Amino acid sequence: MVETFYGLAELSSPRAMFVAGIIGLAFGFVLERAGFGSSRRLAGIFYFRDMTVLKVMFTAVITAMLGIGYAVGMGWLSLADQVYLMPTVYGAQILGGLLFGVGFVISGWCPGTAAVGGASGKLDAFVFLIGAVLGSIVFNETFSLIEPLYRWGTQAEPLFAFGFSKTAFAVVFTVVAIAAFYFAEWAERIVAGGGPYLSSRFLRSFSLALLVFAVGLFLLPYDAAVRDSYASGSSTVIGESALLEAVDAAADHIEPEDLADRLLAGDPGLVLVDVRGPGEFQAFHINGAVNVPLPQLPEYLLPYKNRGLIVVYSNGMTHPAQARDALARLGYENAYMLTDELQGFVDRCLKPVSLRNEPLSEEQAERVRKWRSFFLGSGPVLAASATPSPADGQPSTGLSGMVSTEWLASNLARPELKLIDVRPQPDYNTAHIAGSVCLNPESFRGVIGGVSSMLLPGDVLASLLSLMGIKPSDTVVLVPGDSIRDATLVGMGLDRLNHRQWAILDGGFDRWSAEDRPVDDQLPAPAATSYPAPDKPDWFTVDAQAVLSHLGDGRTVIVDTRPADYYRGEKSDERRAGHIPGAVNRPYKEDLQEDGQLKPLEPLADAYATLIPSKDTPIIVHCRTGHQASQTYFVLKRLLGYRNVRWYDAGWTEWSARAELPVAPQGS
Amino acid sequence: MQEPPKGYWNPYLAGFLLGLTLLASLLTLGAGLGASGALARVGAFLEHLALPGHTASSEYFGRWTESPLWYYLVFMFIGTFLGGLLSAVFAGRVRCTVERGAAFSARGRLLMALVGGVIVGYASRLAGGCTSGQALTGGALLLTGSLLFMVSVFAGGYTAAYFVRRQWHG
Repeated sequence: MVETFYGLAELSSPRAMFVAGIIGLAFGFVLERAGFGSSRRLAGIFYFRDMTVLKVMFTAVITAMLGIGYAVGMGWLSLADQVYLMPTVYGAQILGGLLFGVGFVISGWCPGTAAVGGASGKLDAFVFLIGAVLGSIVFNETFSLIEPLYRWGTQAEPLFAFGFSKTAFAVVFTVVAIAAFYFAEWAERIVAGGGPYLSSRFLRSFSLALLVFAVGLFLLPYDAAVRDSYASGSSTVIGESALLEAVDAAADHIEPEDLADRLLAGDPGLVLVDVRGPGEFQAFHINGAVNVPLPQLPEYLLPYKNRGLIVVYSNGMTHPAQARDALARLGYENAYMLTDELQGFVDRCLKPVSLRNEPLSEEQAERVRKWRSFFLGSGPVLAASATPSPADGQPSTGLSGMVSTEWLASNLARPELKLIDVRPQPDYNTAHIAGSVCLNPESFRGVIGGVSSMLLPGDVLASLLSLMGIKPSDTVVLVPGDSIRDATLVGMGLDRLNHRQWAILDGGFDRWSAEDRPVDDQLPAPAATSYPAPDKPDWFTVDAQAVLSHLGDGRTVIVDTRPADYYRGEKSDERRAGHIPGAVNRPYKEDLQEDGQLKPLEPLADAYATLIPSKDTPIIVHCRTGHQASQTYFVLKRLLGYRNVRWYDAGWTEWSARAELPVAPQGS
Repeated sequence: MQEPPKGYWNPYLAGFLLGLTLLASLLTLGAGLGASGALARVGAFLEHLALPGHTASSEYFGRWTESPLWYYLVFMFIGTFLGGLLSAVFAGRVRCTVERGAAFSARGRLLMALVGGVIVGYASRLAGGCTSGQALTGGALLLTGSLLFMVSVFAGGYTAAYFVRRQWHG
């Protein structure tokens, strides 16, 4: 098997650059020898005067086409993984082609031939190259205008040969090319008295040889080999023990049990897509899935590209395998298929314990019961929280963002329940809920890359959690005082660690003690654990570069959570006053009642609905240091069900200090 | 024109060697030939030099601004230029000229080259490639979109050819 730089993901390596340079050398030499260093000759094809372009191009395409056909047919090359296949986009390719043809005939050059023309001293070639660079810049500047057209007719995967058999198409294509050769020679003879090969023995033998090679493709399984190489991605099955490892090692499957647990835990980075027809979807689907037809998949998933985890499922292996491969080729590194599809999910997660052939341990049985009650809708697994999740069809989470004091009281004895009290240490020492550990939220932050007050990296946070005696399987409840943002900041740290189950105690310690529930002044004695560090950066924290790249994209809503006078630039503690251009202002305090607790869900939902068009809108929240914005992040993500929320941690501290970043209003 | 002009190869032989070059590119790099991609990278590089914040935040060039020129097609383009130079020098064909019909002014011809260049640069970005990347490479891979591109190039070219014929007259 041939392994290419592309297949090895090394197309950006110095060696690939060197090889590309050598291939370029051959490319340029051949183009010049073919006479393509002359625009007059190139343009000749459009006046039937000099058909060299047609002869050379067709011969080259047919030669390489046959070479590829044989390489694939012999099993030496896998098109699906080793070769970059341009996406099929009908609109852009037809319109781009028409426009290209016009530009080609006006200038007499195309990019490759102009390089050769320039090398042989043609000044018009240099001017053309400058024009083409300018044209690229114009494209970039008008991208938002042209984008619908640029994407119009995008197919979920590259299509071949108009859907015909590739082998048959190759033979027909060869015949067309040979006809074109004879037509070209004939036209040259009529128009300019040329056509040197019209009745030559050379062209007859050459045409015959091409035809023989093309027909020879029928002896090889060219079509089947391409089909197989597309399907081969779907045969891996991962053992349950190696599950998480395998997913992280970019295997292309996720096991049903893992998916179920993630959905149960309300994994905020998970997008579950059902690619079956709407009828089947209506009849039954996995709770939390969205129904997206295959052709619209790339477009729908764009906001989630390499953010979080995309899981695609259907009821047979083919569709999702194709969709996943297509997504992978479009650069999605986070798309997975569900092992054994919907049937597997039903059999392995939802089948009642009593109907199973194999015996289950008590722990496993409990897991199945939790899944069944969550996915088959017999009520929430964990007791209801004080703030019910919105009922507008959002994917429900096993543990919503907040738990009530009542729920906590009845679950306090569970060994996997861990409490983190985020109030100031003197308050904690005076009285706290028994067993809770005291954490100053600031200890989750430090200087990163010269920016202060940044959430610490995952490995540091993991060791802090280890010292607090917390394990990944624990359910963590955060206990705030009158500043809920202290809890949400710690929550950002838990999210960075992909901690599955955590919530905030609604009403905080004050409500707990006002209800005369038991408190304690003893220090707990947690045994240190070894919390694993995440091996990837989280998906929700964005840097200034990423924020910048979303400015003016017409989709992303940037929410500035600082007080309004700071947003307007009337007050400032920083080098520059104002806000990020295009950002909307929603001060974090607007989400709070006078007592410092969060407002009820309904006014919150209404307020954000006026600022943010849909639950899928990409959102970036920020404040000065990331602290206040963590509260807004929590409200949007965990309470209101916005699916695509990210956090610019460095915030105004960094933005105002970096002079190259734009600020509005201008001049402030 | 009974034989190819002096120093030029038989077009079918040249096409065959061009096909082998393309094949070599697909089998080693895993990507075909390309040229317009390099020009777009140069565009991104220059615009980033002039307006860093603006370019980094633009949706199309924005993803390249880290190091726009570290790209295999940029190296291939440099190779193409040098390969062309080598061949032209060997054949004694390097001559500083503006190629045009006798009845057409050099300035007019350069203007045509510039206007056509802008259109080609724009169209290449829209279609995701040029004659090398879409027509040759995609055609050899039998990609439907690239075959459509190829047909469209000829359709556009033959439609416009009549209107700009004067620049080659005489």
